[in-house]
Amino acid sequence: MKKRLYLELENCIGCRSCLAACTQCGGHEQRNRNYVYDVNPLVNRQTMPLMCLHCVNPACARSCPAQAIQIHETGAVLSALVEKCIGCQNCTIACPYGIPKFDTEQNLMYKCDLCIDRTKDGIPPMCESVCPSNTLQWLTDEEIEAKNQQFNLDNGKWVTSMPYLEGETNVRVNLPGILQGVTKLF
Amino acid sequence: MQEVNTKAPRDQFFKEIENVRHPNETLVKTHCSYCGMQCGMNLRVNTKTNQIIGVEPRYDWPVTVGKMCPKGVTAYQQTNHPDRILKPLIRDDASLKGTQKGFREATWEEAYDLIAKKFTELQQQYGKDALSVFSGVSMTNEKCYLTGKFARVALGTRYIDYNGRFCMSSAAGGFLRSFGVDRGSTLPWTDIHETDCLFIAGSNTAECHPTSMFRVWHVQERGGYLIVADPRETPIARRADVHLDLRPGTDLALANGILNLLIQAGYVDEDFVGNHTNGFEETKELVKQFTPEYTSQITGVAPEKIIRAAEIYGKAPNAVVMFARGVEQQHKGVDNVSAYTNMALVTGKIGRPKSGVATFTGQGNGQGGREHGQKSDLLPGYRKLTNPEHVREVCQVWGIPPEEMPQPGVSAYEMFELMEQKTIRGLYLLCSNPAVSAPNQNFIRRALKNLDFMVCADFYLSESAEFADVILPSVTWSEDEGTVTNLEGRIIKINKAQEPLGESKPDWQIQVELAERLGRGKYFSHLQTARDVADEFRLASKGGYADYYGATWDKIDKQDGVFWPCKDEADPGTPHMFLDKKFYHPDGKAKICALPYRPPAEEPDEEYPLRLTTGRVVYHYLSGNQTRRIQFLRDMCPEAYVEVHPETAAKYQIEHEEVVRLYTRRGEAEYKVKITEAIRKDTVFVPYHFGHDQSINLLTIDALDPMSRMPEFKACAAQIEKREKRAVQ
Repeated sequence: MKKRLYLELENCIGCRSCLAACTQCGGHEQRNRNYVYDVNPLVNRQTMPLMCLHCVNPACARSCPAQAIQIHETGAVLSALVEKCIGCQNCTIACPYGIPKFDTEQNLMYKCDLCIDRTKDGIPPMCESVCPSNTLQWLTDEEIEAKNQQFNLDNGKWVTSMPYLEGETNVRVNLPGILQGVTKLF
Repeated sequence: MQEVNTKAPRDQFFKEIENVRHPNETLVKTHCSYCGMQCGMNLRVNTKTNQIIGVEPRYDWPVTVGKMCPKGVTAYQQTNHPDRILKPLIRDDASLKGTQKGFREATWEEAYDLIAKKFTELQQQYGKDALSVFSGVSMTNEKCYLTGKFARVALGTRYIDYNGRFCMSSAAGGFLRSFGVDRGSTLPWTDIHETDCLFIAGSNTAECHPTSMFRVWHVQERGGYLIVADPRETPIARRADVHLDLRPGTDLALANGILNLLIQAGYVDEDFVGNHTNGFEETKELVKQFTPEYTSQITGVAPEKIIRAAEIYGKAPNAVVMFARGVEQQHKGVDNVSAYTNMALVTGKIGRPKSGVATFTGQGNGQGGREHGQKSDLLPGYRKLTNPEHVREVCQVWGIPPEEMPQPGVSAYEMFELMEQKTIRGLYLLCSNPAVSAPNQNFIRRALKNLDFMVCADFYLSESAEFADVILPSVTWSEDEGTVTNLEGRIIKINKAQEPLGESKPDWQIQVELAERLGRGKYFSHLQTARDVADEFRLASKGGYADYYGATWDKIDKQDGVFWPCKDEADPGTPHMFLDKKFYHPDGKAKICALPYRPPAEEPDEEYPLRLTTGRVVYHYLSGNQTRRIQFLRDMCPEAYVEVHPETAAKYQIEHEEVVRLYTRRGEAEYKVKITEAIRKDTVFVPYHFGHDQSINLLTIDALDPMSRMPEFKACAAQIEKREKRAVQ
């Protein structure tokens, strides 16, 4: 069954294991391709990961004058093709989440490809596999829908794929607030 | 390399996933080299070069289901690291001690000859006890076992102790007193997410045992509660239902205060207390004075938080009390452990699934390593050197007459005192880096310099190795095999993924060969493989209460580990302790302990108004000798720093990222300031992973727990000063 990457931001403990694991995929040339941010470092220890959300109609690919950014049949938005990328960095500007990274030495963009060598065979990506806090999860649409029902956020919004961001994304995100809808056991 | 295909129980986090297999690669199932979680991992080995080249998740390990922290993900990079010591090193010029200078490469023959000569001379001149062994528990049970035997049979010295005194010994002492047995967790970790309340004291779980976190968060997602006691708002405390933000060093008052409320509110399990415990009445009397107001005065925690925490723990159908170094590294660490354990005993929330007490074991083999004879007063199987029957049992296995068994020695820190006094003149150090990890470093470094002869076995040139005359290259965890006992009390198997790099050798082999040089070969020469050591070790533990006899390597593979005690081949082991409500004291009852409050050994005053506490960051392990060399981890946390609350910073007129001088009565160091509201205003925090002049242990106090001999790393009095101010003076 098709699974998606799902981000439960409230779970993040800032360990950056996802960054370390990204380098271990085998196809990532030992460079990590995602981000973990300190949300308010002078105040508390809240952190959040930001992975490529793998937009259905990705701005990075749309902005690429060389068609270097391909979309895999699974929906994964791939890293730039070495032979096509002209190093213009349009994609890094176009992406609303600031995902694509740029290698100035190779004059080449590189980004998360959702560990395509794994996910094409149903194996979860490295970042999700190691995530100690279950901030990153690899779920079916049914499982994601169940979470949607369970966690009834008080802003009334299931924060993903909102039209005023970048349209539909393959990765689903739940912003902090996971515990708001939980009924306590006692 | 075994292909494990086991049908051990799986929980909801388990996923049936086939690992990616890259061409020309094989995967070796093993566990992480670092903390007590012992996360499962697969090491990727290139089948052409036979070298470790990476890591793959081990999805089928039931405790951690593929998850790893950043230390775990990068652990494999230790093995073929350019800093590895590949040949024995000898330093002829003793005046260079305390530096990295003056070492020359030597053959094993030359190194062994020199060690045998020096050790023999020292013992001839000053007696057997002139030598000492200082060891660690980040290594297999087999190595830990043999180190104890090596000290007592090959060297014949009483002076052996280990770094668990800086890590786990208070938990051991507290459990022994409360339960009569020291198994770090009374329940398997796969129970934790199913409990209704987690009460976690003095554990920065998200940074020190990150792969516990998916289970912790799940308790809250189910509607259960998380209570965290910590002076800092750590990543786990940030999401707690109740954060008990206590002053460092005041846990005993907090635990007594909560116990008092549990008793007053009628959460006592009268049946359990009456039939299975001693000491309730006396304890009830003692904790009466710990009203929420009085407890609040001592701990600095608001009374309503204490009341709420007690209410939640009391109401919870199932609850687990957990703690770690925060409560244990105090000069009353043993009392703290027993006091928090009291909560479970009084309410009867122990001896059944989903309820119990656990400590987050710090070192990889912190549990197993303390059970089999590296501690100054213990023999394999948790036998006691002071018990003649125990001594006889072990002597039978070792083949020595009981009168040759040395007497108990002294604890880790006290060994340094004896070095300073020249009672101890020689040291064989392995698997530890006390020149970073011990308290009161100015004293420790003086003591190390004072030695006539020091041998250090390590795979990197640690800060402690800088004091050695001879350095022996040992192997990393991935170049040897054996068992480790994780934080649950589950005995697991570490597998060999690569041949030893260069001329390095596993510690057990070094000890066998050294014993031969010292004329004690007949007690060691039969140990030619790690498995030989394992077989003798299982036999030596047989009949002790930490009985590993039935934990064969085959059974460990088949069952996904074996929980001790495991007495024979047919015994599957003991995941849950005390299900029969039988404790290990002679009368079968647990002890509820009446524990009067004592403040930290050093309280703040006018001169030193701040409380200094120390701890870890997620990117580094212990003294940092391993993790500081790994690029990713070093990039994430390259240096020590001091955490200061913004109001405190304003008072001292210091700013974020400014370098300040931090000092105590024992020492000083300079640190970059990290301003954060996630710490008490009266407290500052520095991580302890850094060496030389960055070591916070230059400042920490050597006040020891009277029972566990654990130093009080977690609380002392300190002062901050601006650097310019000092320059003016």
